[in-house]
Amino acid sequence: MLLCIQYSKEEEARFLSHLDLMTAMERAFRRAGLPLAFSEGFNPHPRVSFASALAVGVTSEAEYLDVQLLEEIPADEVLQRLNKVLPCGLCVRGAVPVTKRTESLMALINLARYRVEVPFHSGDGVSSASTSDGALYPPVEDVAGMQEKINKVISDVLATTTYLVQRKSKKGLREVDIRPGIRELTGRLKEGGAESILLLEMAVQIGSDGNVKPEEVVGMIGALSPFHLGNNLRIHRLGLYIETNGHDWSPLELS
Amino acid sequence: MKEWKQVLTEEVLPKVSKPLRYLGNEYNAVKKDRETVKLHSLFAFPDVYEVGMSHLGLQIIYGLVNEQPEYSMERVFAPWVDFEAELRTRGIPLFSLESMTPIAEFDCIGFTLQYEMSYSNILNMLDLGRIPLLARERGDEYPLIMAGGPCAFNPEPIADFFDFFVLGEGEEVILELFKIMAEHRGRRNGKQEKRTLLKELARIQGVYVPSFYEAKYSQGKFTGMKVIEPEAAPRVVKRVVRDLDAAYFPLKPIVPYLEVVHDRMMVEVLRGCTRGCRFCQAGVLYRPVRERSKELLVEQAEQLSQNTGHNEISMTSLSTSDYTCVEPLLKEVLNRFAGRNIGVSLPSLRVDSFSVNLAKEVQRVRKTGLTFAPEAGTQRLRDVINKNVTEENMLQVAEAVFREGWTQLKLYFMLGLPTETFADLDGIAELAAKVLQRGREILRETGSKKSPSVTVSVSSFVPKPHTPFQWEAQDSLETLQEKQRYLRTKIKDKRIVYHYHEAELSFLEAVFAKGDRRLGRVLIEAWRRGCRFDGWSEHFRYETWLEAFREVGIVPEQIANIPIDTDSPLPWDHLESGVQKKYLLREREKAYQVATTGDCRFTSCAVCGICQDLDVALHLRSASNSKAILHPTER
Repeated sequence: MLLCIQYSKEEEARFLSHLDLMTAMERAFRRAGLPLAFSEGFNPHPRVSFASALAVGVTSEAEYLDVQLLEEIPADEVLQRLNKVLPCGLCVRGAVPVTKRTESLMALINLARYRVEVPFHSGDGVSSASTSDGALYPPVEDVAGMQEKINKVISDVLATTTYLVQRKSKKGLREVDIRPGIRELTGRLKEGGAESILLLEMAVQIGSDGNVKPEEVVGMIGALSPFHLGNNLRIHRLGLYIETNGHDWSPLELS
Repeated sequence: MKEWKQVLTEEVLPKVSKPLRYLGNEYNAVKKDRETVKLHSLFAFPDVYEVGMSHLGLQIIYGLVNEQPEYSMERVFAPWVDFEAELRTRGIPLFSLESMTPIAEFDCIGFTLQYEMSYSNILNMLDLGRIPLLARERGDEYPLIMAGGPCAFNPEPIADFFDFFVLGEGEEVILELFKIMAEHRGRRNGKQEKRTLLKELARIQGVYVPSFYEAKYSQGKFTGMKVIEPEAAPRVVKRVVRDLDAAYFPLKPIVPYLEVVHDRMMVEVLRGCTRGCRFCQAGVLYRPVRERSKELLVEQAEQLSQNTGHNEISMTSLSTSDYTCVEPLLKEVLNRFAGRNIGVSLPSLRVDSFSVNLAKEVQRVRKTGLTFAPEAGTQRLRDVINKNVTEENMLQVAEAVFREGWTQLKLYFMLGLPTETFADLDGIAELAAKVLQRGREILRETGSKKSPSVTVSVSSFVPKPHTPFQWEAQDSLETLQEKQRYLRTKIKDKRIVYHYHEAELSFLEAVFAKGDRRLGRVLIEAWRRGCRFDGWSEHFRYETWLEAFREVGIVPEQIANIPIDTDSPLPWDHLESGVQKKYLLREREKAYQVATTGDCRFTSCAVCGICQDLDVALHLRSASNSKAILHPTER
């Protein structure tokens, strides 16, 4: 049976590479006693396909994989058994048998939502553990004024029609217009804590037809604003979607 | 103001290579509440995470200690150079993986000594942990620093840095030690009086407290060890597990997130090897041979697979094809696991066609390369080292390997063995050529379109303590390099790939294997000048090591390249492996007479002393099978 599974990659697992994650999942299926189907051939590998690779350091609450099991097992039971044996930081959240869909998750998913925390400080320098970290914007006094500045920048970003970024490819550097791939963008000041943080939420294009990275959107904001943005971002993926006819579907809904 | 842990997770880990090395939240890692245990210990592995996590000994000791409710054990590995730089610039102390506790806050830290060239990492880890390097400079408030493992059988070069060493098999003794430490602290409000505690520990068999002994020298030569503390035994004898079935084995080992060097579950089929190769230290230190029963191994494999989810199971030991029940064991394990796509691997193969058949059996799921170790190029030299392998064995192996569909074969040799001449090097080239030729014939015969290739991997002989060759000189660096170049000119076929190990590294390995306490100062100097990860060629700084030797005024060639008189005292004479010196001397004599000694499992007892002196015995699980394994081609 083919199952589509939604899982989260949390704080404790954020440094797993895509390869580490694939291995961790395969091992969890074995520990749960869930019989994986394997490919034929010289070096058989389990028939698990992942929707999208998540970069090292990025967390997510809604990643997806399709897995072929050799036995019919109720989806709820699969979830329960997996959650008992998954390592710290990985958790399965939902599962449905794939009945309608014929294409792979990777081919269908075309939209991703992210929450990004950007510290307002130089960030490039080395900050010592015992002294303050050189924040350019320590906790702000004029919260309303700051929020106004942020609003202005967001509307400036959305008002542009094109924004070129450079990407490295095998053939060298190439320019890509990311603006059409930015579908939604909001920003606000996150209060409390030792430093001021710009909290962004965005919906961007993902998949084979075009990809916008959250880091590129932050770069664009930095370029169009007076802010000195730090470069140690905390990126959290809120979800992956299949967007058709103006509606965002969760992969579980369309399986 | 950020706390260091926050700086670490927010700023440091995202920018270093492989941050998972430093996290410690892998599946089956044990995290205990600090308040609920009586003794906090730390297993320190002086190499990078991926190497340390491949080590079965770590999983055994970690599992055993953490199964005891009153003790805890966490882990720390040598931080890779990029992470070390971050720790130093930001002033973050080296911390344990499980609870991110600075290592100086543990009650006891145990290093494992697998390899001499990891010593610089030990110093570096102590320093990063803000722990004074020298044992005598550490007060009662510091953790007790101990070590075990093969290099503990001559720990003199690092004696100044450790409070005590443990000789022999750790699972046999660790709980006794922890009981003493916990009770000692229990009586003193959680504090220790180091000197008193060390006296209590020194009463335990296997414990060596170096500060209770004074090394004597005369005219620059080591002349013996003097006991300066009445509690200390004049000779420390190793600890041995008697029955492997009764010994602890970890069935819930930590499953790393990162791909480690040996990324698989391990069952330990047997311990020890009595083949008696005269250069081999492990063959002496792990005597006698003790096998685990087949039924238990199958049961352990089953539980390991359920508890880890690994897709490969390794049947480890020094020589798995010598296991008396190896065929029925493999048959049963393969039948059980092949259907679940779990492969089986054998880490070491003896040079005979029986082993090739085993390899063929186990590679039903995944096929990997095969490696064999004839060690020397001529029959004469193989007899000198007691490697009971003939050219005929090797060619039969080649035939079997190529006939079974492999096209690559790797051969290990050692350069610079005692009595070696250039004729023996010619022998390496000729043997490799014959193996390749046999491969060509077989592949042609079987109609294969592929052409065979042979890899010749050559390391340099390092004389090791407690072996029949412990008195030998290592060839000078220049000679070793000349031999490496000579061999290169002798290997002409393009289908033979020739690799050799850095001779400089083998030279220093010999110095630290055979050296005495005076080397401690050299280590400090080398470490101060930036030496670490010496076993990694990209970090090995030979010139810096030479500067350190010059600074201290020690000539390393005098340790590595000059033979020791057999009647001279050795820096490790007070440390007993259970194998008697007179046996080692007999074996040395036989080496010079080009005479071999049989394996005591199949022929008569060679009276090495282990069973007689340590009250242990050879423990085989099937007498009939052991005879079947003795091949007529072997003498």
